[in-house]
Amino acid sequence: MKSADNKKRREEALELLNQAENSKLLTNLNACVRCGLCAQSCMYYKALNEPRFIPSAKVDLVSSIYRRYYTVTGKVAPALFGAKSLDQDMEERMVDLLFGACTMCGRCVKHCSIGVDIPFVVRKGREMLAVMDMVPKSLQSTVDAALNTGNNMAIPQEEFVDTIKWMEEELVDEMGDPEARIPLDETDKELFYTLNPREPKFFPLSISAMAKIFYAAGESWTLSSKFYDVTNYGFFNANNGEAAQIAGYLYDEIHKLRGKRLILGECGHGSRAHKWEGPNYLKKGYDFDIITVVELIGEYIRTGKIVLDKTLNSVKHTIHDPCNLVRNGGLVNEIRFIVNRSVSDLIEMSPYGDDNFCCGGGGGSLAMSEYNDRRLKIGKIKADQIAATGAKVVITPCHNCVDQLLQINHTYKLGVTIKTIAEVVADALVIEKRIKD
Amino acid sequence: MALLEIDGRVFDVDGDGFLTDPQIWNNEVAELIAKADGIEGMNDKHWSVIKIIRDNFEQHGNAPMIRKICQETGLKLREIYELFPLGPARGACKIAGLPKPDGCV
Repeated sequence: MKSADNKKRREEALELLNQAENSKLLTNLNACVRCGLCAQSCMYYKALNEPRFIPSAKVDLVSSIYRRYYTVTGKVAPALFGAKSLDQDMEERMVDLLFGACTMCGRCVKHCSIGVDIPFVVRKGREMLAVMDMVPKSLQSTVDAALNTGNNMAIPQEEFVDTIKWMEEELVDEMGDPEARIPLDETDKELFYTLNPREPKFFPLSISAMAKIFYAAGESWTLSSKFYDVTNYGFFNANNGEAAQIAGYLYDEIHKLRGKRLILGECGHGSRAHKWEGPNYLKKGYDFDIITVVELIGEYIRTGKIVLDKTLNSVKHTIHDPCNLVRNGGLVNEIRFIVNRSVSDLIEMSPYGDDNFCCGGGGGSLAMSEYNDRRLKIGKIKADQIAATGAKVVITPCHNCVDQLLQINHTYKLGVTIKTIAEVVADALVIEKRIKD
Repeated sequence: MALLEIDGRVFDVDGDGFLTDPQIWNNEVAELIAKADGIEGMNDKHWSVIKIIRDNFEQHGNAPMIRKICQETGLKLREIYELFPLGPARGACKIAGLPKPDGCV
């Protein structure tokens, strides 16, 4: 019975490659010429130095299966044409390399001589593993928490509300204004703001920072007390049905509260999953505006809604570029525009911007305990980049990156502070007191 | 599943170093995990945080919100981050013998 189930699941997985009309898939499966230029672009290959970690080798796992089942030459003479069967050995290698050795950062795409979308192929391989129920347990557990409770840390609604009320009291104290607010579940507001659940659970300084910025800008905004989670780990476990369900939570909630613009909190994959992939998961377009909080803060500075004094942040800062916001999201200049207005001493990493290295915790790897050891080893590349700048503060607009950076800061004894962009901007804010005497 | 050896004691842990069996936890185990993470000698403030996390886990099966930790210990947020450089999750929850929380931590 079990083997019949396995056979059926394998057939479903293979069906994902049986798409004669899908030109994007076919192009990316057939285009690699094995030039090897991608090898040195990949943190896993650079840090671990084994050929199986070369990005083209990961692409080949998926394309070799495609050749075996869907090309004449691969069916007739598989050994001659590098065609491989989808068997247990292949499945194990796919789990190990596509889930356990790729952060989907896309740096290899920039270095590929013909621009193969390698993370797209990696995710296609993950989709195959997802239909075969082979997603690593710890990653699936994060997705399940989001599906079952609306947020990926399973925070009960009343505990979230208590936390927001507590943050609001602190805001009132700090601003010296009893009318300072962190609005919950309010309707017809200009902005519907979102959070990474790790903010209310463990790291709420970025919530206070954004609340201060909204206060200074005089913004009309709200949080939902139930569906505020900006993450979508369905992007990583590659179960598109689950990704659609999670994307639907925010879609339905902004309609329920009649918000005008959905503001994506500081989260790389969440921004990508909701802004770019969401309409594909949901199979419908958005009828509301959706932008990242980075773009919103840039807008506040340009329009004079907030005023910053960069001398308030005078120690040496550097920027870690989240892959999904910069290389895959186009925000390289916007992040620098904001940081240059917020800090007086900025030094870039080498390389930086579109060519920067991943933090090492992307692609869902931070949630996958199974690969913790590898994640810290590749993080050495980022640690060396940070150490070479001599900066005291590393700014990054992504909570997932923050957590990986916290861990490599500790492991490699860097002695730096990690901040989100909201925290740096909030520290530079010049706010006129609104106390009514 | 992995093994973590500290001062001759061996523990079954997950890939992130969190105890596989939270029931084997006691104060001595907490001190050993803390030591492995570079915290030499836990002080009263460390213990007050660990106790709240552990009690919450035993009553509710999960880690408490940072709000609860701050309000019940009277410690400021930034103090907690200084006490546990790996943060409340990878730092304090691990020392308190909890399984690794889900999400971006």
